[in-house]
Amino acid sequence: MLRVMRLGTTVLAMGAVALAAACGSSGSSGSSGGASASKVLVGAGSTLVAPLMSQWEPDYTKSSGTTITYGAIGSGGGIDAITTRQVDFGASDAPLSSEQASACKDCLQVPWALAAVVPAYNLSGAPDHLKLTGDVIAKMYLGQITSWDDPAIKSLNPGVTLPSTAVAPVYRSDGSGDSYVWSSYLSSLSPDFKSKVGVSTQPAFSTGTGAEKSSGVAAAVQSTDGAIGYVTVAYITADSLHSALVQNAAGNYPAPTTDAITAAAAAVTTIQPDGSVSLVNPPASAASAYPISTYSYAIVPKSSPKAAQLQAFLTYAITTGQQFGPDLGYPGLPSNIVQHDKQVISQIGS
Amino acid sequence: MSITASPAPLSGGGARARRRRRTGRAMELLATIAALLAIALLLLVIGSVARRGAPALSVSFFTNVDAAFLQSGGGIENSIVGTLIMTGIATAMAVPVGVLLAIFNTEFAPPPLSAAIRMALNVLAGVPTIVIGVFISGLLVVGRGQSAVAASAALAIIMLPLIARSTEEVLLLVPTSLREGGMALGATRARTVLTVILPTSIGGIITATIVAVARAAGETAPIIFTSSIFANAVVTDPSQPMASIPYTIFTKSESPSASDQQQAWAAALVLISVVLLGSIIGRLLSIRTRRQIEQTR
Amino acid sequence: MSIDSPQPFTVPVRTRPRYGDLGLRAVAGSAAVVLVAVMAAIVYQVVREARSSIGQFGLGFLTDSQWNAVTDRFGALDLIWGTLVSSLLALLIAVPVAVAIGLYLSELAPAVLRTPVALMVELLAAIPSVVLGLWGILVMGPFLAEHIEPFLADHLGFIPLFSGTPSSHGLLPAAVVLTIMIIPIVASISRELFTSVPSDLKQGAMALGATRWEMVRSVAIPQVSGGLVAAIMLGFARAVGEAIAVSQVIGGTLNLGWSLFAPADTMAGRIASQSPGAATALQKSSLAYLAVILLVISLITNISAQLISGRIQRRMGIQR
Repeated sequence: MLRVMRLGTTVLAMGAVALAAACGSSGSSGSSGGASASKVLVGAGSTLVAPLMSQWEPDYTKSSGTTITYGAIGSGGGIDAITTRQVDFGASDAPLSSEQASACKDCLQVPWALAAVVPAYNLSGAPDHLKLTGDVIAKMYLGQITSWDDPAIKSLNPGVTLPSTAVAPVYRSDGSGDSYVWSSYLSSLSPDFKSKVGVSTQPAFSTGTGAEKSSGVAAAVQSTDGAIGYVTVAYITADSLHSALVQNAAGNYPAPTTDAITAAAAAVTTIQPDGSVSLVNPPASAASAYPISTYSYAIVPKSSPKAAQLQAFLTYAITTGQQFGPDLGYPGLPSNIVQHDKQVISQIGS
Repeated sequence: MSITASPAPLSGGGARARRRRRTGRAMELLATIAALLAIALLLLVIGSVARRGAPALSVSFFTNVDAAFLQSGGGIENSIVGTLIMTGIATAMAVPVGVLLAIFNTEFAPPPLSAAIRMALNVLAGVPTIVIGVFISGLLVVGRGQSAVAASAALAIIMLPLIARSTEEVLLLVPTSLREGGMALGATRARTVLTVILPTSIGGIITATIVAVARAAGETAPIIFTSSIFANAVVTDPSQPMASIPYTIFTKSESPSASDQQQAWAAALVLISVVLLGSIIGRLLSIRTRRQIEQTR
Repeated sequence: MSIDSPQPFTVPVRTRPRYGDLGLRAVAGSAAVVLVAVMAAIVYQVVREARSSIGQFGLGFLTDSQWNAVTDRFGALDLIWGTLVSSLLALLIAVPVAVAIGLYLSELAPAVLRTPVALMVELLAAIPSVVLGLWGILVMGPFLAEHIEPFLADHLGFIPLFSGTPSSHGLLPAAVVLTIMIIPIVASISRELFTSVPSDLKQGAMALGATRWEMVRSVAIPQVSGGLVAAIMLGFARAVGEAIAVSQVIGGTLNLGWSLFAPADTMAGRIASQSPGAATALQKSSLAYLAVILLVISLITNISAQLISGRIQRRMGIQR
């Protein structure tokens, strides 16, 4: 009988230990686990900055000993994750809305990468670098232009034979900073798009296919003839996609080179009170600016148990880390932004 | 339910009889084709996975972690370790509760209660795994962060009905003569269960566990909520989120890069091999266990 | 997959309880309490997460076609539509095939083939859904888009189901994936059902001159029809609840159209694709509301299926 009670107790104890392990893992990576946990910074968010982040991760770990864990789940997910403090830092190409800012409770936005969102397309029988305008692209996403040989597209590309393939728009189905930038750009040029779809990390697209993450959009474009989607430059080169040239306010069609993106950044120097800068559709005075450029932001809480590590990592990102950018299509941050960032970073406390 | 015999005899001549025979044969042919279709589908999927995944299998595939963006190489070492740890913890949670449930149902519960518990287990088994993911996410992840233990808890819930039902089937196979023998010798019910019935059924319990683990190893839905942001290194601390094989397949399947896709196929090959092997071994073991128990009659 | 009710071993009542028995009964009983607690917790927690969305939209959620994170307005109509179309289409294809397989395994297969073929059908169920989704994205979807869908569009394009541009992501690939998942479930239950028909009934029919098919049609199927209904309900529940493989191949778009080629979305698929990156609290709550709907559907179909099969077994006096 004693053996039975002992056996029963052991079994119960095993179950209890398992349950305790589940409940006892309270707090984010900071509190439990001891030394190993505090040498980890966990972040999540934007897929636009993910290629750059994947260069930062090993380099920063080597130089500082802190491991960076990053989940590229999309800007919407990053904002949500930092709001619920499931991670130490979020990453988003879309600045926090006022509702998100108050939900995040004293979060700081630090622009730490400069990038461009590029229309990618797959059209057999057509050359690379077709020319498009924001208005035409908006009509494609509204289902008003349905085939690639539409007169509107033809008039922008004289001398190019366009097949009559159906237009298949691809958009991000998850919460995406790329979607925010894309919909901002199209909304600024097409009031129709603005009223029907709107500006958001999850705009109300009515036609087309949804895909998750930048890689999903790239995959969908790659596999569908006639598809058009939007991703950052790094994914174009990585997956050998065709990219379209977009007309800027000055009437030119700049390629999304680091120079063109830098020109866009130079044209908009005012930083909003919440720390964000919109580079979409810069004025015509910036003749060579790429019209769909954007900053990508790190979102950090003003007070955090890992304040020192966050400050160190962010400082690395906006200075040394920028060296990895140009090869992937991210120009270095302009100096006024770096100055502003250093100020913001110093506000992070515990 | 009456049987209407046809007016014309089946044997012998007559167009009617011939037509009935032909219809009968045609239907039997259709049934055989249906079975062949299922087998063909199975072979099609396994064949695709094997053909496309095999080229990427190499020693480095099993000993490297995921490669950085635009870099080739990389492997699923951290995913394998993660899946092993997650399913291990889930098994430790689910097996005690499942076996105890089965014991309760077979030894202690009056028939109405045991029927109710059986129905509850079947209902739990039918809850979509994505709903279980939403449940665990709200309970263990919101406010605390992701962790492998949270994923294990979700997997344990998925495994529980499988283990409890199969264990109950095995326990019921144990002949009453064994039970009565224990009682006749003056043992308590508890002692009979623990020293006679459980050891006899241990083969069946192990089988049930193997099949349940094979099922849990392939579950992706709960992992999306509980362990989708993880370090690109081998993680062994269960309070941290970890990579896992099904989630790796999920993310790489939607990637445009050909090397990512090939890694997805290779990881799928590893997963399918483990899952199918576990299912086949489970099936064969259960046949053997049944035969063994029958021999004790 | 047993939905039978075996009889437990009962012992003559003791006048004086033994402590060992009490101990084990308490420990084992606590496992039953854990089971009930977990199930109650699932319902409570999921409903709680959906609270603000239920409060905001009420039952109108089920008939609203919007899903808009900009205006914070969410409705499940398109998702319910996608779920119904893909699941019912999958049932339409899978059930006849699965019942035929059940018949084959119980009546037609030579004894030596019975176990291997049954095993292979079960292995179809063991394929993880993420692997089916991978196969769907990279093999089956493109194959459908390049060969099957154009064929259907050319020859049957006047039917709204087959109109539209062929696409590798859409309702049709989703239905194919769901079919593969439903077949093993319904087939194994059908096989059990057909095997349980008393052989004297079957042989009686044959003795009266029926062909095997006529025996099946007029004796076996009516005999097990209730159980087949239960099996179909379980297959339906499985299809409705599948999130991963569907989210990989269905295209994640709101769609109320009839075309099987067009991308669409299901309730489970939407939860899987939008949960990690939900932009607003109301969106997260609405995704939980979808989970509540899925939970209700699964509870109703599962409990009904079990009640039906329980009644059949009592009627047939089945004991295991």
